[in-house]
Amino acid sequence: MSKEKKRSKLEMTEQPASLVKLYLTVLVIVVITEMIGTKTFSIGPGQVVLLPMLFAVIIGIIITPDLLGAKITKLRDLISMTEVKTAGSYVMIALLPLGVKYGTLVGPNIVQVIKSGPAFLLQELGNLGTVFIALPLALFLGMGREAVGATASICREPTLGVIGEKYGISSPEGTGVLGTYLMGTVFGTIFFGLLGGFAVATGLHPLALAMASGMGSGSMMAAASGALAEAVPEMKDSILAYAATSNMLTGVTGLYSVVFLGLPLVNFMYDKLSPVFDKRNRGEK
Amino acid sequence: MSLKLDRGFEYLKMLAVISVMILIGQRIGYGMQIISSLPGMIIIALIAFIALVIKDSFPALKFPAFAWASLIALILSMPFMPTAELFLKYTNQVNFLGTTTPILAFAGISVGNKIEDLKRLSWKVFIVAIAVFIGTFFGSAIVAQIVLKIQGII
Repeated sequence: MSKEKKRSKLEMTEQPASLVKLYLTVLVIVVITEMIGTKTFSIGPGQVVLLPMLFAVIIGIIITPDLLGAKITKLRDLISMTEVKTAGSYVMIALLPLGVKYGTLVGPNIVQVIKSGPAFLLQELGNLGTVFIALPLALFLGMGREAVGATASICREPTLGVIGEKYGISSPEGTGVLGTYLMGTVFGTIFFGLLGGFAVATGLHPLALAMASGMGSGSMMAAASGALAEAVPEMKDSILAYAATSNMLTGVTGLYSVVFLGLPLVNFMYDKLSPVFDKRNRGEK
Repeated sequence: MSLKLDRGFEYLKMLAVISVMILIGQRIGYGMQIISSLPGMIIIALIAFIALVIKDSFPALKFPAFAWASLIALILSMPFMPTAELFLKYTNQVNFLGTTTPILAFAGISVGNKIEDLKRLSWKVFIVAIAVFIGTFFGSAIVAQIVLKIQGII
């Protein structure tokens, strides 16, 4: 414990050389990815939009010490675990200019957005869709109580807090929520960046898809709505405005939705479904 | 108090670094001149700073700084606000996509300490998480589609 404290204190002290290394690395990534620009191509019925941010997150992940850094010593010297840790605190700050930009997209469209108020409120309930799709799948794969944590919601920070408090983060439910959280943190923006443009092929209206993009994570929302806006450029402003509003709303309702709807529902469904799957799994053996 | 002041300077420094990255990035990606984008970038960074101060001042509200930043900008840019015209004129000089690349570059690097944890996860978690993503996204989209249709908006 005391060791831990000492370490965190050490990291609090500013190390200019480490910061400069991180800044330059990020700047190089930004320059490279902006030079690549946005790439759009069709696959089957849909459109795949590759935004610079998608390349940026992939390059960022690849150069970390456990991946490419494990092979190249020079790279490990540049981006060590110290820089990785500092990068985490910069994400929160770097999101804010995007937050402001989203506000400037909602403001001018505020009348239209308010008219769609009922849809905004009700689609928040649609987030519970995960319980009907992911929970049966998790049980089918033989997960136990982990499934409850993993599928209660998209498992961003509020859910992590709620499950951690209720079951303890080292409980099976805690393991489940951490699993989905981790997956979302590492692959969420990549997945939604690819899905955002492609989802138009489902025939769902771009505004409905835009609302769905607001899931309570600024970067996932940016990836999904940014790709969607590039795929349907004539509705760009409305798409971004709807996505931002939905995301803001999830920021307000997300926690309560997990506590009062998501968790009770996932537990109810678990009690109903797990005996069925238990019998089936035993039968197979 | 001095701790708070330190924190304020830290926030400003971080915002300044990120602003420079955005300005350079959008110069390359979208050909937007750094000098003409500068006033808008400063306004955006200031709002971001205010959002951080509000969040730190009212921790009990549990409303993230990101949402405060959007809310302030939203209010300033509403059509009937006297600030709207000037505010939008400057902030339009900062490209929306241009603000996203530094975030994701930092975000990519920041998950570096989770790779080992990720390797320990079972393939089942991977599949279930994808189902969670799809369920959340299309669950919302389908409900939104139905309600917007009923309202006659789409």
